[in-house]
Amino acid sequence: MSQAAERTPVAKASLFKRHENMTPLSIFVGFIIVIVLTQLITQGTSRFPTFISPVNILNILQQVGVSGIIAVGMTLVMISGGIDLSVGMLASLVSIVTATGISKWHFGVVGSIAAGVMAAVVLETLMGFIISRTKVEPFIITLGGMITFQGIALLLSNSREVILNGELDFFKANLIEGAKDPATGLNLIIPPYAVIFFLIVLLAGLLLTYTKYGRRIYAVGTNPYAAYLAGINVRNMRLSVYVIMGFLVGAGAVMLLSRVNTGIITLGQGLEIDTIAMVVIGGTALRGGKGNIVGTLIGVFFMGSIGNAMNMLRLPSEVQFVAKGLVVIIAVSAGDVSSRVSELMTRRKEQALARKTIAAQRR
Amino acid sequence: MSEILQLKNISKTFPGVKALQDITFDLKEGEVHCLCGENGAGKSTLIKILSGAYQPDEGGEIIFDGKKVTLNPHMAIAMGIQTIYQEHIVFDNLNIIENIFTGSEIARGGFLNKAEMRKQTIEVLKYLKSDLDPDMKMSELSSGQQKIVEIAKGLVFKTRVIILDEPTASFSSSEIETLLEIIRTIKKNGLGIIYISHHLDEVFKIGDRITVLRDGRKVSMYDFDGLTKTRLIKDMVGRDPSTFYQREKVQIGEVIFEALNVSGEGVTGVSFVLRRGEILGIAGMAGSGRSELMNVLFGSARLDSGEIRIDGKVLKHSSPKTSIRNRMCFITEDRQNTGLFLPQTIAQNVAVANLVNTREFIALPVDEMRTGDTYVKTLNIKTNDSRTRVVDLSGGNQQKVVLAKWFNTNGEIFIFDEPTHGIDVGSKQEIYQVMVDLLKQGKAIIMVSSDMPEVISMSDRVIIMKNGEKMAELSKDEVSEENILTYSIGDKAI
Repeated sequence: MSQAAERTPVAKASLFKRHENMTPLSIFVGFIIVIVLTQLITQGTSRFPTFISPVNILNILQQVGVSGIIAVGMTLVMISGGIDLSVGMLASLVSIVTATGISKWHFGVVGSIAAGVMAAVVLETLMGFIISRTKVEPFIITLGGMITFQGIALLLSNSREVILNGELDFFKANLIEGAKDPATGLNLIIPPYAVIFFLIVLLAGLLLTYTKYGRRIYAVGTNPYAAYLAGINVRNMRLSVYVIMGFLVGAGAVMLLSRVNTGIITLGQGLEIDTIAMVVIGGTALRGGKGNIVGTLIGVFFMGSIGNAMNMLRLPSEVQFVAKGLVVIIAVSAGDVSSRVSELMTRRKEQALARKTIAAQRR
Repeated sequence: MSEILQLKNISKTFPGVKALQDITFDLKEGEVHCLCGENGAGKSTLIKILSGAYQPDEGGEIIFDGKKVTLNPHMAIAMGIQTIYQEHIVFDNLNIIENIFTGSEIARGGFLNKAEMRKQTIEVLKYLKSDLDPDMKMSELSSGQQKIVEIAKGLVFKTRVIILDEPTASFSSSEIETLLEIIRTIKKNGLGIIYISHHLDEVFKIGDRITVLRDGRKVSMYDFDGLTKTRLIKDMVGRDPSTFYQREKVQIGEVIFEALNVSGEGVTGVSFVLRRGEILGIAGMAGSGRSELMNVLFGSARLDSGEIRIDGKVLKHSSPKTSIRNRMCFITEDRQNTGLFLPQTIAQNVAVANLVNTREFIALPVDEMRTGDTYVKTLNIKTNDSRTRVVDLSGGNQQKVVLAKWFNTNGEIFIFDEPTHGIDVGSKQEIYQVMVDLLKQGKAIIMVSSDMPEVISMSDRVIIMKNGEKMAELSKDEVSEENILTYSIGDKAI
């Protein structure tokens, strides 16, 4: 074999030496720092549960469960090379459809939930169809979708809120009724939607890692033309992730509705920003082809913990926005900087090696 | 006539390759100096040195207007050397005036002087006897008209030398005539023109002198007095065939693949048969429709008319998916952009093309890695195991991953588009051996190649393409550099 081939650097399998793992890795380190700091600050005050306590951890889970479900869908969409800005308004629309279905149209609980979820699936499929059949950027199509869905939701609800009488309460029932936090004696709560969140995470993780479908999503996101030449139906793959997204937004929105008992336009506000932040923090690339569910899981809990920590520290919500925004910027750029540094170091090593080889050849 | 430009002893070395050796070249005012040679003879490298994109090795001299100069792209343009590349570098949604002046706008105090720019554009178009409307957007123009705009741009900015690299690719015949007429006009103005073309007809019509390159060396220089095409072709060829790769002979079997009157984008009426155990070489100059033909055959470009048969059965619904299911494999030329998923592992890359052939929904990474590791071993891919990301491999090893991806589909009809493009010599030999091994298993290969020794040493038969058509089919005995070149650049009958 030739010289050139022998000089080829062999990639290390070690977790810390691979640049592509740097973003989730640095996030994870940041995650630990936030937890430790908050824990130290909250430990002194005895009246409240400390940050790391069963009751608070379950609290965080309740807070992030729904956006976590949608973040899973966003992960699939983004790995395939797309994006979806419409999820927030779509969730609001679903909540209004479902709530109106129960309180006004008398579809029954199951029928209304089905109507809400179906609406989301149909609308996402329409967008996916346009995205996969044209060359228009998904950013633009889903932005248009977001505005349209907002309009439909307002029309349906006559710009008012639709109030429920707890028909969906079974979604927030406590699965471990009676369990108490040993330290503070507060009630421990695990609602069904938290379990559903974990189930969806597990399913999506398996889908991405262990199935043909998962392979194809990564292939399409990494290099659509090469994927096409490898016999993959790129258009249908692109369409399919939006269909899945529709289902997950539908499911997430119904659970969100069960928490607040009110179908209202503000319900999903900002959800697209939150979920994209979670996914990006988890190391999924905006250009597609890169990312995984474990990263997203870290992103979901990271965002959730920061929100929760700031609540515990009694920071006003105005400050919380600033802090959250900065965290996203710092976290993602820290990941990029550290991956560049590690890449630069590898390249330096290669160059030194190449120089030595050339010098040796000249002699 | 005085000399504008002189090159003395210009060499250019790339790691492992001498692209140019001791080139001497000059260009006078008001002359058209043609450059010709096979693919890879060093024409492009020479142009890039003249346009300042490459620096020549030490020892060579570039003399412009009697002064020794060192060029970079900026200076070359400032001194008046305008290079018009084969691919159009234009701003599609700007109009002709804006295209000409982008980057060198005429302005007064920061405000554009549109009237002056329009006036100059109209003047130059009139001078070129062109009736183009200066307000037309570039996207509305044909490639011939776009070329005129590029030349106009050169004229607006006091150009001394215009370098035209394959200017007539994708031109209609009337557009070629227009261009040649324009060149005759501007040459009267004292400009020097360097004209690179595969089309000997044009060269003979327009050229004042011609320099022939082969393997990075200057072979000869002629004025056109009494020069024949045969003479030029003799100069362009002339390698010693005994230095070529010596390929094992393989028993040739029955017909596996047939193309009947295949037409599609850039391809007109091509027919051939392919037998098991055989390599069918596809030769021709860059832009002759070879890659286009491969895309039509594989279903990645539309088949407008004609038929493709595999084992006698007509292939319906041409698409890459159908082709793969019918045992076709397509090793593309641009492996990084069309063949590989660079950030992914070897195992994932190997698994991807076979997905259309498997029925199972589950695809276990463990299985993929086992398959990947097998190919790492059998194809001698230099790495630890198949968990390595493809982006971290060298060119030769990346090509082996592409091969592994297709071997994994159990294909039998292999299309190789430039199989050893940009690959070091050692890996080249290994890839040739792999190809011969395929033949021994009764598989068949269609091989597009610009590398003349490769075409001659590897092919059992050779088809020569020009302008999207099949010009000739040569049997093993007829295959020679001279024959191939005659058909790829000359007329059908010389």
